Amino acid sequence: MDKKELLKHIQSLASQQLITKDEVTSAFDAGIRGEVPDEVSRQAGISHILYYIGGAVVFLGISVLIWQHWTSLNSATKILSTLGSGIASYIAAVFLSREERLEIVSRAFYFISALVMPLGLHVTFYLAGLDTGSHGVQSIVSGILLVTFLFSYFVNRKTVFLLFNIIFGTWLFFSFTSFLVGSRPNFDWEFSAYRVLCTGLVYALLGYYFTTTSHRALTGALYGFGVLCFLGAALALGDWKPNQNWFWELVFPGLVFGVMFLSVYLRSKAFLTFGSLYLIAYIFKITSEYFAQSLGWPLVLVLTGLGLIAIGYLHFNLKRKYLS
Amino acid sequence: MSSKKNISLIIGIAIPIFMIFLIAISIYLPSLFAPAPQFNFLYVTEDGYGQNRRYGVENGALVKYEVKYPEHYTPRAARLFIHDVSRNTDQEVSFEEAQKLKLDANVKSPDGYEVVYGSREYGFFPLFFSGEYDYNTMYLKGHNASKKLELESSNDGRYYYRNRSFLGWIR
Repeated sequence: MDKKELLKHIQSLASQQLITKDEVTSAFDAGIRGEVPDEVSRQAGISHILYYIGGAVVFLGISVLIWQHWTSLNSATKILSTLGSGIASYIAAVFLSREERLEIVSRAFYFISALVMPLGLHVTFYLAGLDTGSHGVQSIVSGILLVTFLFSYFVNRKTVFLLFNIIFGTWLFFSFTSFLVGSRPNFDWEFSAYRVLCTGLVYALLGYYFTTTSHRALTGALYGFGVLCFLGAALALGDWKPNQNWFWELVFPGLVFGVMFLSVYLRSKAFLTFGSLYLIAYIFKITSEYFAQSLGWPLVLVLTGLGLIAIGYLHFNLKRKYLS
Repeated sequence: MSSKKNISLIIGIAIPIFMIFLIAISIYLPSLFAPAPQFNFLYVTEDGYGQNRRYGVENGALVKYEVKYPEHYTPRAARLFIHDVSRNTDQEVSFEEAQKLKLDANVKSPDGYEVVYGSREYGFFPLFFSGEYDYNTMYLKGHNASKKLELESSNDGRYYYRNRSFLGWIR
């Protein structure tokens, strides 16, 4: 049923007084909030997954074609079959998205272009004689992709473009900072941990921003990856005895409890789940790092077990009380 | 849309940009204020078999050690270089020439610099490391600044892991 038919149907039902204005507006509001009837949601979910699997299979096909015939294909064919396919998929998606009923199919084609274009750019730069593994080339590739999809987003404000922008933006951030730093002696693994920490924080902030926009579909994933990166990096920065970092080891429980209580405010299960998991990891880390020798391993295990029970209780209660 | 939400977007975009600036400043700013290095240094390429070294510094002068190699083993030729820190260039010297130099074998130069290998590079994919494994890059590090050194590498164009050894600062 297309939009015109639907509106006519509503009009017909309204004329027969079978539907009220409140019912229509409440259904509209529920749709805006992202609530979809179970049956429709399941069917749409399956078809969406199939579209994206199809897109990934197309990408695999192109990759295997290039890999198998690398020596026999000439440079123009290599570029045409990778970068050309990426651009062609993008153009196809633009045309498909003009037709409302093909809008979802167009996302699959955007997905193909987002997968194939990086491959195409890598092949093109490689054939131009550049070292595609270098941070400079990685920055250029990710920069081109980010600009392309940012421009696409400003022309057509689709959620799928935002997703690609976040991925390519993260890629550019890591590549460009690595390009700046190179192998300088003052920048060791902690430098990467701080970058992951920042990435996590940015994801969580963007997720929060999207909650009141039409892109709220991204919020759950951004919260999940955000808290995973943020707490993971904070835990790693604590390091291990005798190289431990006191600041991060002391601050970490505060961060975890902050995340767990934010889960109530943000109504985010990802915050609560990852907060609980990281608290468990922290208890294991601290007990084995500092108390295994002094208290003895069996007693440490008993204390850790009790700690886990407490976390489980807290997790269950918070989820039941605030997130169900 | 509430201003609180807009702030989260602004901060979210500002954090990576701020971090890039911070990294650039932490790299380039200290080098502007660091004093120019004063002491050139002597180094050797492809020196040693396992823990055994062919060259060392004793009483401020270069010495040569006898190293026993297994039968049928041909060691790579060790080459001695003086690195000019102001011009970032090398000059190859013979053992006899290098023996005449007065050397300080301390890791740190009298003006607070040291010669170190670069750290492993970390990229995006996979998240914690990249395809760049340039373990042989060396830096002149000191006063919170570091400068990449243009040094001679192996003499046969092949890759050897950390194939240079610092011998001493030239007094």
